[in-house]
Amino acid sequence: MITHHPDDNLLTEYSSGSLANAVGVIVCAHLQTCPHCRKRVEQLNKLGAAILNQSVAEAVQPESFAQLMTRIRSNSEAAASDKASTPQQKPQELHPAYANDPLLKHLPKIIAKLLPRDGKLKWERVSGSLKTARLKTGQSQYEVAFQRISSGGKVVEHDHRGLEVTMVLCGSFSDEDGVYNQGDFLVRNPGEIHRPTATQNQDCLCISVVEAPVKVTGLFGKLVNPFLSFRPA
Amino acid sequence: MMSIPHIGPDKHQRDDTWSRLLERVGHARDEQAFAKLFAHFAPLIKGFCLGNLNSNFPADAAEEVVQEVMFKVWQKAPSYDATKAAASTWIYTVMRNCRIDLMRRNKRTPTDKDGIDIDDIWDEADDDQAFVYLQQSSNEALIDRSFTQLPPEQRQVLTQVYMQGKTHQQISDETGLPLGTVKSRVRIGLKKMQTLIVGAEKLAEKNRESWQ
Repeated sequence: MITHHPDDNLLTEYSSGSLANAVGVIVCAHLQTCPHCRKRVEQLNKLGAAILNQSVAEAVQPESFAQLMTRIRSNSEAAASDKASTPQQKPQELHPAYANDPLLKHLPKIIAKLLPRDGKLKWERVSGSLKTARLKTGQSQYEVAFQRISSGGKVVEHDHRGLEVTMVLCGSFSDEDGVYNQGDFLVRNPGEIHRPTATQNQDCLCISVVEAPVKVTGLFGKLVNPFLSFRPA
Repeated sequence: MMSIPHIGPDKHQRDDTWSRLLERVGHARDEQAFAKLFAHFAPLIKGFCLGNLNSNFPADAAEEVVQEVMFKVWQKAPSYDATKAAASTWIYTVMRNCRIDLMRRNKRTPTDKDGIDIDDIWDEADDDQAFVYLQQSSNEALIDRSFTQLPPEQRQVLTQVYMQGKTHQQISDETGLPLGTVKSRVRIGLKKMQTLIVGAEKLAEKNRESWQ
């Protein structure tokens, strides 16, 4: 059961469209698995509509509608000839490399779209129990990556210099503050220190969005930074 | 006495003029219905955008946004489902996504070519989700009314969040209010709306029972 949700502030930023893309991706992934938050966002969208309804109406340019209809008509002609010449596009299927991976085969729709189409997700070994794979989201402000912790594995204690948003995609892990299961959504603020451990019976897959590099504070911290160098893509 | 299955307040609410017009645009590609929607919503969209002057959103773009939003409304109308959202809420989400798209386009960086679609991240279509809505969320009229009943400072901060599309941090930076104050005004405002809505719903339920 999902017990950790994005708070009202974050959902409001999502609904109003002000969240950075990369954070929006994780909130969206959570919404695709959490009916409770989905309903909350629906309410918030209705608030957006209320603010739109209560806006002061400003006359648009007199030719505005005619211009729009011209554009719509020329566009539908172009679309009709496009349809005749190009075959219908099939919905994208999950690459076999992912479909055969128990951790990857049931991802939320938005996360599945981030997987490289050629099936070549590049895992980098960070420590004995942690692997990471960077994902491209087309922005340069945040690093988006999968974190894969093997069953029972411990991640080196680290603190966060920037905001980190994480969602559990498969399995579960725990840290000093609690246990996080599939669908759970966590925000770590700058300066918070934690040391995640995957549960014994299963590997754990998370997706994380990190605003700035994290630094390792553990004993071997200088040798093994769990998140390597900061490389947004 | 056997009770008639209750469809919920939303279903009833959906009977509004705009939702019916939008359905006609979607199903019959009805240009007259579209003209009526345009006449109502285009000035509101422009007004909403102009509430936006002091942001990094160019002022002369208001007309462009109106064109873009109404173009998308026409294009996407076939996927509009009146049982899921009222026309105004659906148009709000189309407008929001257009605005995100336009703002990104204005400050595009080379890495953006790998970007995922805005409509995938802000995904309202939600076609293959098997969510069961045990309870419909509150209807638009109640949300409209409860919003106008908020104290000015809460209404103002929510208006800034929505109209200017700003993060809490940006609002804090610009107004000089501490971030915590911005956050708590948003939260308290939403909570207060919720209380007003629940109160109104209970009252409606009571009236319905006494009527039966």
